[in-house]
Amino acid sequence: MLETLKDRYSRTGEESTVRSLLDRESVRSAPFWGPPFLLVALFVYGAVVWNGVLSLTDFTGIGSPDYGTLDFENYVVAFTGGTPTWSDLTVDPIWNSAQNTVVLMIVFAAVCLALGLVLAILVDRGIRFENTFRTIYLLPMSLSFVVTAKFWLYMYNPQTGLINIGIQALGFGPVEFVQNPELKLGAVAFALIWQFSGYAMIVYLAALRGIPSSHFEAARVDGASTVRMYRRVIVPQLRTATVSALVVITVFALKAFDFLFSMYGGYQPGPSADILATRMVREAYANQNWAYGSTIAVVLFVMALFIIAPYIYSQYRRGEL
Amino acid sequence: MSDAFAGGSDRRDRLKRVALYAVLVAMAGFYLIPIETGLMTAITSPETYTGQTPFLPPLEPLVSGTGSFSLAPWANAFDGLARGLANSFILVVPATVLSGLLGSMAAYGLTNVEWRGQIAVYVLFIAGIFIPYQAVLVPLTQFWYNVVPLQAAFGPLAAAVPLVQEYHWKLVALIVTHTAYGIPICTLLFRAHYKKLSDEMIEAARLDGASVSTIYRRIVLPLSVPMFAVVFIYQFTQIWNDLLFALTIVQFGDASVVTQELVGIGVSQSGTNFPLRMAAALLAALPTLVVYVLFGDKFAKGVTA
Amino acid sequence: MFLVLVGPSGCGKSTTLRMIAGLETVTDGEIRLGDRQINDSSPADRDIAMVFQSYALYPHMTVRENMRFGLEESTDMPDDDITTTVEQTAGMMGIEELLDRKPSDLSGGQRQRVALGRAIVRDPAAFLMDEPLSNLDAKLRATMRTELQRLQETLDTTTVYVTHDQTEAMTMGDRIAILDDGKLQQVGTPLECFHQPANRFVAGFIGEPSMNFFDVERRENRLVADRFSYPLSEATVAQLGDATELTLGVRPSDVALVDTTGADAFETTVDVVEPMGNENNVYLAFDAASDDPDTFVATVGGMDRVETGQTVAARFPESALHLFDRASGEALRNRELADADEIDPRV
Repeated sequence: MLETLKDRYSRTGEESTVRSLLDRESVRSAPFWGPPFLLVALFVYGAVVWNGVLSLTDFTGIGSPDYGTLDFENYVVAFTGGTPTWSDLTVDPIWNSAQNTVVLMIVFAAVCLALGLVLAILVDRGIRFENTFRTIYLLPMSLSFVVTAKFWLYMYNPQTGLINIGIQALGFGPVEFVQNPELKLGAVAFALIWQFSGYAMIVYLAALRGIPSSHFEAARVDGASTVRMYRRVIVPQLRTATVSALVVITVFALKAFDFLFSMYGGYQPGPSADILATRMVREAYANQNWAYGSTIAVVLFVMALFIIAPYIYSQYRRGEL
Repeated sequence: MSDAFAGGSDRRDRLKRVALYAVLVAMAGFYLIPIETGLMTAITSPETYTGQTPFLPPLEPLVSGTGSFSLAPWANAFDGLARGLANSFILVVPATVLSGLLGSMAAYGLTNVEWRGQIAVYVLFIAGIFIPYQAVLVPLTQFWYNVVPLQAAFGPLAAAVPLVQEYHWKLVALIVTHTAYGIPICTLLFRAHYKKLSDEMIEAARLDGASVSTIYRRIVLPLSVPMFAVVFIYQFTQIWNDLLFALTIVQFGDASVVTQELVGIGVSQSGTNFPLRMAAALLAALPTLVVYVLFGDKFAKGVTA
Repeated sequence: MFLVLVGPSGCGKSTTLRMIAGLETVTDGEIRLGDRQINDSSPADRDIAMVFQSYALYPHMTVRENMRFGLEESTDMPDDDITTTVEQTAGMMGIEELLDRKPSDLSGGQRQRVALGRAIVRDPAAFLMDEPLSNLDAKLRATMRTELQRLQETLDTTTVYVTHDQTEAMTMGDRIAILDDGKLQQVGTPLECFHQPANRFVAGFIGEPSMNFFDVERRENRLVADRFSYPLSEATVAQLGDATELTLGVRPSDVALVDTTGADAFETTVDVVEPMGNENNVYLAFDAASDDPDTFVATVGGMDRVETGQTVAARFPESALHLFDRASGEALRNRELADADEIDPRV
């Protein structure tokens, strides 16, 4: 019975060698990775290259870009300032916003990681309602930058903001945060920390859960105090988690444009809170200095590359890709 | 004596425990208070809003100075955001589904089918996750406005098909852009899942006569359902929350999405209408908040991958 | 034919199996199935079914769907016929009542059966099995071993079976192929491999406990080792040619413990005794006084009384000696086969 059925319906063994080229796995899997790859190649990498070319032009939004005369003028302007040939106005160099970017990135990343680590250790102490606490700490991350900015604009408000109500209750005068050049970058960083420290917490918590409980017990048996145990035994094992959280958080900081745009209701956060991300969009979309915007974008891209290239390389070396 | 000792250590442990919970609750307060304040303000009638106790519920006339309860800010916020909300939904649903599906396909082609060079292709996908949007904005604006005749194509389409408007071309451009930029992270998430699928199972299917596409359709796809939930939640949140692509590709106008509309809401010559602004912020955040509250664990899984 | 590929882990036996299945590329040589050359056929076209170590069942499908899958994908068989075929095979395997369950609801033994059923239902030209019993507990493994043999006899389909367990190899195979370091060492019936190993590796791999080996040097017609010197007969010397650096092998079961030393019996001390019930493994040493004595094994009857520290004479009968070229490992002389013929189990 088996024999006859099978012989009748068999599909095997015909013209198999002819198809050997088509049988190559790379070719047969191409319909799967090909279309998404094409999209990514075109819209991500194609655009990055095109942006690089645009940064060498004098394009100011009139007509189409002139690709005939390419030069590095925009880069000279970006690093030294001056009046470029495509404008009558003096253009500021990018140092101010580059400095703000780096300061914001470092403060934001350092505090996020530290706070996230402390929270993760606390949550990992075998507490009750762990899920609830975790959910609450990560909640801000589900919000849009735009929404976060609205909440914090309100919190910082000199008259009706909760922070100033608290300060006044302590007997001090109202403090202007959002428009105060001395405080605004700190105010931005604080709000961003509120939004993303939960992320660092989740990453660290997952890493802590990955450490075998025998390590905790061994340290305990050796008589180490809780603080020493974490410092000497546990935290050194969190390097991988720190690196991956750091990469993601710095990239978030590079993208903080949405937050500043919403906080300041437009392209003008003012010089002391201006970061490269806002400067780039302002130059291109508000000032119509398209080519110059592209130039700043190249700088941002290179900064991102310095963060991600070592990261991806190390992932590759450890065989985790 | 040993009893006394144990008692002391017990008490110290209990004290430590209390301190631990105190810190945890205080931090929960830190994360919740801006949202709570926003919510309380959003249900206060603007006329009675004083701003003295923004974190208290509006209990006038019971507690003076807190303002009186009103849902008017929500109604006004909805009026102000309705178009943006609709546009956001038109954008976010197809973009989420497309990026998830394409990401799953890419991950399958780069993980479960063995061929040389797949790591190189995969590295390009992964690097795409971290590229700042700024690095592509100008070319994308050029591309959608000056290279692709999408706008011209949508004129006749809008005339022929009901519900389709001419300005929808901008949303289509935004959908394609978000799909392309979502693929890398989706690929990463799916690949982590697919690496855990048993190689022997895939080989068994090959020996059973299944082709590469049959294995995807009948084996891998059904086993990806939990991962699709994670990916969809992540992408939904990302795309819904984005402002920058919308600002530069859609720009302000008929096709504005909700994050764009939110930026300017609640500000007028006479000052800031905080109840309206907070209601609008919460309304704009509502879809992602609902998703987060319902599927928080899956969201956490998405962001940590 | 039931061919068992056996060898230590990493010897290439699984790779060989996967090459037959088409899951690995063959760079050189030819794979034939019947009269077809299948080197370039895709796995699907080879008409082969494989049972994996992990069983590799599709976790989201019921047992019935698992068994249908191969027929749906590799044949154009109508649905009704697939249903009948699956049910018949399930009946034969005794898994009818499992048909509507998911693999996660099954025990290890049941999954094993389903994996077999899924291969059998395809009625392939050949079965490939990759250590299919290694995830089962010892008792179930013994049961499944006999059952697999019975199934193979009923179905009469060529089966290639990979294992690292020489007991499985000895008991199940019509032929066993022993691999080491990617090279085929010997192909033969289990008894051929046991009694007439082609080289030292095979001699040491097959048999439990392993064969004892001593490095010896031939001087005239004597074998001289560190601790003993053994006289050879003319006939044996003739088999050795002019090789002088040799390895002497003798199976534990061929070592006899006797009262008096002699030309082929040497004084040794009992180091350890492992009672196995029906027999004792006796570890003997020539140099028991040293800290780390070199021991060799003799298997004696379970009732024989031997104690640690006792001095005994170990006799190596010349008829049971194996001699290997020490450099190449090649067998120069195997035990005399008159004995082996008598052991042939056929009635």
